[in-house]
Amino acid sequence: MRKYWWKYLGVALIVYSFTVGLLVPLKPGIYSYDPGSMNTGQTYTLSVTGYNTFYTKAKDPIRVWLKYDSIHNIVATKVKILDDRKLEASFQIPKYLPTNDRVGVMSLIVDDDHDGFAVMPSTIFIKQDSLDKNTQLGSVSWTQSKIQGIHGKDQFNFPFRVQLSETIRNLYYHVPFWFAMFIIFIAGISQSIQYLRTGNQEYDYKSMSFTMVGTIFGIIGLFTGMIWAKDTWGTYWSWQEVKMNMTAIALLIYLSYFILRQSFDDDERRAKISAVYSIFAFGAMIALLYVVPRMVSSLHPGSGGNPALGADDLDNSMRMVFYPAIIGWTLFGVWMTSLVYRMQVVRDKLYDL
Amino acid sequence: MNLAKEIGILLQKEIKIEWRQKHAIGGILLYVISTIFVVYSAIKSVDPNVWNALFWIVILFASVNALVKSFIQENSSRQLYYYTLANPTAIILAKIIYNSGLLLLLSLLSYGAFILFAGNPVKDIGQFFAAIFLGSLGFSITFTFIAAISAKANNSATLMAILSFPLVIPIILTLLKLSANALRLMQDTAIWKDILTLLAIDLLMIAMAFILFPFLWRD
Repeated sequence: MRKYWWKYLGVALIVYSFTVGLLVPLKPGIYSYDPGSMNTGQTYTLSVTGYNTFYTKAKDPIRVWLKYDSIHNIVATKVKILDDRKLEASFQIPKYLPTNDRVGVMSLIVDDDHDGFAVMPSTIFIKQDSLDKNTQLGSVSWTQSKIQGIHGKDQFNFPFRVQLSETIRNLYYHVPFWFAMFIIFIAGISQSIQYLRTGNQEYDYKSMSFTMVGTIFGIIGLFTGMIWAKDTWGTYWSWQEVKMNMTAIALLIYLSYFILRQSFDDDERRAKISAVYSIFAFGAMIALLYVVPRMVSSLHPGSGGNPALGADDLDNSMRMVFYPAIIGWTLFGVWMTSLVYRMQVVRDKLYDL
Repeated sequence: MNLAKEIGILLQKEIKIEWRQKHAIGGILLYVISTIFVVYSAIKSVDPNVWNALFWIVILFASVNALVKSFIQENSSRQLYYYTLANPTAIILAKIIYNSGLLLLLSLLSYGAFILFAGNPVKDIGQFFAAIFLGSLGFSITFTFIAAISAKANNSATLMAILSFPLVIPIILTLLKLSANALRLMQDTAIWKDILTLLAIDLLMIAMAFILFPFLWRD
């Protein structure tokens, strides 16, 4: 028990990431709205569809805002609740916008005491036909209401994003495989270096086992990513997508490593040459990691204006599942590696008999 | 015997061997020309975009074919003889330098053949030659090293391709961008950055080859 604590820890963390990652609901949010653009000086009824919301259970009246910036906003004159997920908010759009631009982009905010508040940032366009010479006029009509008394809810929820919705949970299954894969590949390289330094067969088997588990993790990561891509980007495979193709190349490199291993009969020769190749290939992979992202833009978070794992995207509730999942899969990968390694040693002994 | 002198003698030996088996380089040249001929009789219209891609693909395949023999043209007992005489660093360096020269020659001749059959869309000759030079260097380092690896295995020709193609992707991507710029298919004011990237990759690969080759030949 004391010796194998890390195996138990790994399994516990994986089980934790599965249960919490799948069971915790998403934060209430705004799923859709209509219309998406308005004109100044007119009255509109904005129909809002919520996600995971319970509008009928709200005790206080629900409030809806269109927010331009920190001081300029308008509040809905009337809010009609249709059911738990649908409401209609009437807006009287002032004659002028608080800006001299033709179009102002508004954020939609819905606040109720049961679900807390939900924001849909920069979504609704308001057009003004005649520009106001005196911006004060617009400014005044947009500062009549204040956004205050917001109901913050401190529940353990995952954030809601319209494009991702429930697939946001894939973060706990897709991304940790990459992290674990990289850690395991680096461990494999260090074993290769150890082999070249000492010439001890044991290190070759270890390096091979690490590489095998890393490759399996890479394939799983690729497939979970492809499922996610189908849902959010609309296609399983995108040639525009850098990280995806880079992964495919990395997997090609490691698959050819196994082909290389197969083509030797002599153990020592196989060990030496595959160690040399894996280190050389790792160097080429570093070049790949550096070069390819500069060539084309990526659809992945973190590039081309896409949000990354910053404060905005990975909030604390997700970190509490995401980081344990990485550690869990890494430990699990090490366990798998030790099994592959022991199998290899046993096979070696059997063939020697 | 110092390193430079060793490399010089090994280079002379390489050139002599090549001169004695003229069919090898002649075969590669014929390979390039017939590939260009087949491709262009299939496509017919020559768009600069296609020209760019085809040029580097032809160079890639010609390079693999030219360099696969690097470590198998001489029999293993003669290899052993060299290893007892020379420093492994000198051996790999001489091979890389010789192969770079070979590939440079091959690329320039292919460029000539491309001009002959498919026209010359290159607008910035200097940049294009820079791409050819750095490309031959990068290809030669990677392919020479992989040829050394695959020479130790049984089915070396297949292994050569599957081991080296994924590894040259960073080089070939940068080359495509560089030569697209030389063809004015795109305008990049910071193209020197790509030249530096290519140089950095070449340096990284040669450093790896340097460190790892002594482990490879000692068996």
